Amino acid sequence: MDEPTLRYEKIDFLGEGQFATVYKARDVKTDKIVAVKKIKIGSRLEAQDGINRTALREIKLLQELQHINLIGLLDVFGQKSNVSLVFDFMDTDLEIIVKDNTIVLTPANVKAYMIMTLKGLEYLHQNWILHRDLKPNNLLINREGILKIGDFGLAKAFGSPTRINTHQVVTRWYRSPELLFGARQYGTGVDMWAIGCILAELLLRVPFLPGESDLDQLSRIFQVFGTPNEETWPGMKNLTDYVQFKQFPPQQLRHIFSAASDDLIQLMESLLSLYPPSRCDCTQALQMAYFCNKPAPTVGPKLPMPSNISKIEIEKPSLKRKLLENIDGGSLAKRLQF
Amino acid sequence: MDDQACPRCKTTKYRNPSLKLMVNVCGHALCESCVDLLFLKGSGSCPDCNVPLRRSNFRVQLFEDPMVEKEIDIRKRVLKDYNKKEEDFSSLREYNDYLEEIETIVYNLTNNIDIVGTNKRIEQYKKDNKEIIMKNKAKIGREEVELEEILEIEKQMEELRRAEINRLEQEAKKQKIREKEALIDELMFADGDAKDILNTFAQNKASKQEEVLPVLPKVTQFSTGVKFTRVSAQTALPIIEEGPLYKYEPPAAYDRCGPEPPSIEDIVGCGYLKHVRAENETEKAGGYNSTLPCLRALQDALAGLYHAS
Repeated sequence: MDEPTLRYEKIDFLGEGQFATVYKARDVKTDKIVAVKKIKIGSRLEAQDGINRTALREIKLLQELQHINLIGLLDVFGQKSNVSLVFDFMDTDLEIIVKDNTIVLTPANVKAYMIMTLKGLEYLHQNWILHRDLKPNNLLINREGILKIGDFGLAKAFGSPTRINTHQVVTRWYRSPELLFGARQYGTGVDMWAIGCILAELLLRVPFLPGESDLDQLSRIFQVFGTPNEETWPGMKNLTDYVQFKQFPPQQLRHIFSAASDDLIQLMESLLSLYPPSRCDCTQALQMAYFCNKPAPTVGPKLPMPSNISKIEIEKPSLKRKLLENIDGGSLAKRLQF
Repeated sequence: MDDQACPRCKTTKYRNPSLKLMVNVCGHALCESCVDLLFLKGSGSCPDCNVPLRRSNFRVQLFEDPMVEKEIDIRKRVLKDYNKKEEDFSSLREYNDYLEEIETIVYNLTNNIDIVGTNKRIEQYKKDNKEIIMKNKAKIGREEVELEEILEIEKQMEELRRAEINRLEQEAKKQKIREKEALIDELMFADGDAKDILNTFAQNKASKQEEVLPVLPKVTQFSTGVKFTRVSAQTALPIIEEGPLYKYEPPAAYDRCGPEPPSIEDIVGCGYLKHVRAENETEKAGGYNSTLPCLRALQDALAGLYHAS
């Protein structure tokens, strides 16, 4: 039996999250590059369960899921008191691509990203799982231009008539209004709303609704879509955390996304519908006109990649970057910390 | 200029003609060698006012009065955030008030009046106008980039023109030599009078000079000033590839190892929902409905029924 710690050769440190540290490693057995996620022991309270809850969720769900647009869990191994998960190695994520202003995202690129995300999510929903933490940062992309949904730390089965869920899920900016109102029984709508926010972010290149608090998030949502009333959202007042909001008139999405085509606006309106039951699901979304209309989605290998994938940018910052820095006065007057 | 002296080492311009005074954000001057000495580590504090400074921010004092330098620094910093344009205001009055406010802030900071309050004011302003500031910053960035582009094009034009002049000169030189040779040939081999030949050649030359047309500069822009070659000057836009159009295909159904469960339509239409608890209004408002749990329960119940070990 080969020792798992010997099977994976650490190459690089990739990042550290709340629950885990991620390393780039080489699988000696298959000579494949993988990502090894080493779960932290965490607090005493979490350790009491034996293993961190988010890690357990990931292991439990991912080992049964197989889809090209979902991150693949290749292996799990334990070492002393640590547990490590081995995933497909992904070069970048959508957040990096959206933030990289040297990348031009064409309508065809946006369509390709949306199709891959929705296909992965459709499979997930079909298997009765809600992701509950969709955001650009969790949509991973590899060199071949294949997008995979990652981070299943908040994912959970849905479709139980009695189980109460927590509403404290999804990163705030992508959180749907029913979650913000404290709904304990919800459905696929929470993921669909997040997809809508991601689509908007792909077009705007900045977060669409960057709320600073839960209440601010709601007021930002209503400033765009108008404050709902008992007619447009029946039963809204019964939700646990319902608060009365100032009346905002709805805005036209086509005025915010002036460059977007009509079929795209139609999709976005359907994804970002305030009343959860009228939000579309993945299958309905993929069947909408936007996806089968021109322009055709970009094929994977032609999707843009940040330039630092080949580590060029670190050694030689582009001229544009320098220019921008000068404008910002990047090298000017900063308070020093001693 | 003799009274220019470093406040720290008291060196004057008279004693050290190469004395260079440098200033930083606080507006206190230091000579170059004192800066070298004090900021050996890259950062330190101003000997006059103890404000932490960074060595890279020192620059040569351009104005005699260091206060002017300080004011410039502060203004630069304030304007970085106060970057609204006249278009952002509905009336000239508001715009003027805004400009007035900037001046007050700059004046206060320069003269150390109510620094804490003023900084608070700036912070508040930054918080209130975050979006506009960000937007305008991007706009300024674009303007700057465009300016850079224009400069670049101008430089290229200049080079082209110089090359053109060079070429013309060379051409003229060659032409002259050729004419001279022709004249000598003519003189050597023709039978006519040498004087006549000289005359005709002189005439020819005169007429040819008139013939040389002024070289027209190549047109590189539209009358509006937009360059023809605009696209090539920017980073190349990705080529739009025509891939196959997307067509929806439902995900492959996996082997349930059991009878096919009813579809959603069947569940709604065939009365399955009568046997499950209907969602209440609150649940519906949260996006829950009883169809899905019903479907799931049926799927769970039917899956694996054909399984035999």
